[in-house]
Amino acid sequence: MTGNRVLIADDEIHIIHVVAIKLRNNGFEVIAANNGAEAYELACTEHPDIIVTDYQMPFVTGIELIEKLRANEETKHTPAILLTARSFAISEEMQETLGVEACLSKPFSPKELLKTIQDILHEKAMALHV
Amino acid sequence: MRRQRSLGWAATSAVILSLCVAALTGLHNSGIGVGWRSPTVALGLIACCIGAVGVIFLGLAYHRLVGTVMSIARQLSSASTGSESGLQSGSLLEMVSGLRSELDERAERIGQLETELKDLRLQSRLADRQKQHAEAIIYSLRDAVVVIDESDRLLMANEAAANLLDFDPSAACHQALAETVGQKHNEFVQLLQQSRQSGIEATRRELEFEQSDGPHTLDTIVSCVHEGDKVSGVVAILHDITREKEISQMKNDFVSHVSHELKTPLASITAYSEMLADGEADDEETRKEFYAIIQSQAQRLNRLIEDILNVSRIESGLIKVQKEPVSLAILIEHQMQMIKGFAEEKQITVTGQTPIIFDQVNADKDMISQVVVNLLSNAVKYTPAGGSVRIETQVDEVERLARVTVADTGVGIPADELDHVFDKFYRVGANNKQAKGTGLGLNLVKQIVEKVHGGRVFVTSEVGRGSTFGFELPLAAAVAAGAT
Repeated sequence: MTGNRVLIADDEIHIIHVVAIKLRNNGFEVIAANNGAEAYELACTEHPDIIVTDYQMPFVTGIELIEKLRANEETKHTPAILLTARSFAISEEMQETLGVEACLSKPFSPKELLKTIQDILHEKAMALHV
Repeated sequence: MRRQRSLGWAATSAVILSLCVAALTGLHNSGIGVGWRSPTVALGLIACCIGAVGVIFLGLAYHRLVGTVMSIARQLSSASTGSESGLQSGSLLEMVSGLRSELDERAERIGQLETELKDLRLQSRLADRQKQHAEAIIYSLRDAVVVIDESDRLLMANEAAANLLDFDPSAACHQALAETVGQKHNEFVQLLQQSRQSGIEATRRELEFEQSDGPHTLDTIVSCVHEGDKVSGVVAILHDITREKEISQMKNDFVSHVSHELKTPLASITAYSEMLADGEADDEETRKEFYAIIQSQAQRLNRLIEDILNVSRIESGLIKVQKEPVSLAILIEHQMQMIKGFAEEKQITVTGQTPIIFDQVNADKDMISQVVVNLLSNAVKYTPAGGSVRIETQVDEVERLARVTVADTGVGIPADELDHVFDKFYRVGANNKQAKGTGLGLNLVKQIVEKVHGGRVFVTSEVGRGSTFGFELPLAAAVAAGAT
């Protein structure tokens, strides 16, 4: 798991900051973007192993970012986690429709986010072995 | 009777004629003296004969007439006294009696009819008055009302309906509805026709109507008017719910925005607290950084809650206002320092102008500070990196007021949205994605300036070039002069 690259997209610099510290403390390489458009560019050029994105961001929202990622051959299989501070919950069915592997509501626990990332990457690795 | 009289006249005429002829013949044949043979004598004889016969005839006629009258009088007398002999004496009594009872019945019936006629006239007047009242109500309704008959012809439509469906009501009466309102409102026409055909008591549907100021949603209730088993007409009432739907949507958006705005600083507080608790901050410097972030996010949370509460307090008139002479220049300078950190994060320069003239206003310092900081933070929020924000104060000596303007080089606001930017929960559609917000900040500015301080807010904007928001407050001297 160590050395995996995580792209985090959020317009709240404090969220990027705290998530980056947590992940780096646990051996991950972190790249960050503060809006959807920038995140898409980084996803195409830096090829992260997993993307963590906020739902509501300026210019290109988290949902629009995922749609763009899924439409691109290079990024269509990159797992994504959606962070949301919206008032509604996102069901598993909706997650599948959106094309995200997991969805966490704000406020979230950095520990929980770390575990989710690790689980998804582990599953992905197992699937590749099979 | 008439026949007898005719026969009498005929007989008398015959007698007179024969007597005249006999007299003339006799005189001629007898050769009586010269005096008798003269025409004068002959005419005198004839006149005497005629006079005699006339007297006899008149006597007979008089006798007959008197007899008849006396007979009638007796019968009438008998009838009136009810004597047996009178009743038996002839049919006239029965006839008169029948006639009288019939006349009595007729008179009674006429009386009844007159009473009924009066009632009907009264009911008619009442019905006319009720109709006028009903029409006055219908014509003054803001809801559109349309009435059609069993052949889908327009019977009645009020002004609201004419405006909504765009037709001339004076020329449309008894015209086919489909032709009157045209293809544009086909869905509405079809709904009325289907309701009439189905005969369903009431149908309710939301219909979209394209108007000059954009699409409107109307809650449409269509009711059938029945005459026996048949549908004799259809009444449609259309209530415009466009604004209600907008408000409902705005409330939903507000809950969503507030939830997002509250959760965002809370997310930072939660995450940094957990990091501290888990010992993820290695050194004292990192821990201090985490504490500072938690503190700033808690303050942000508090400001947001205060915004929500202040709007509510001002609206309900419960807010405590402490007005005092305040120098706008000093207050603005202080708020500029507060916003600079946020502006520097976005690489936006904030500049101001310090006036050298008297600019004191009689205001609640904290509230006007909030106005200034809201305008400044909005300007920074909607200005792309590298842009600039400038705040200026002017004093209008003629109008005796101070004017503050905050100009940015931001994205700007479309002209059709400018009128709504101070509305509660309103967020400019095109800018919604660019920055987060509750749609409360500018409403709070308006409430504080206009409702609490009797000032005025204004905005000018050009898409792609930037916006200028501002407010005017009466100068402290002007307020004092007004008070005395």
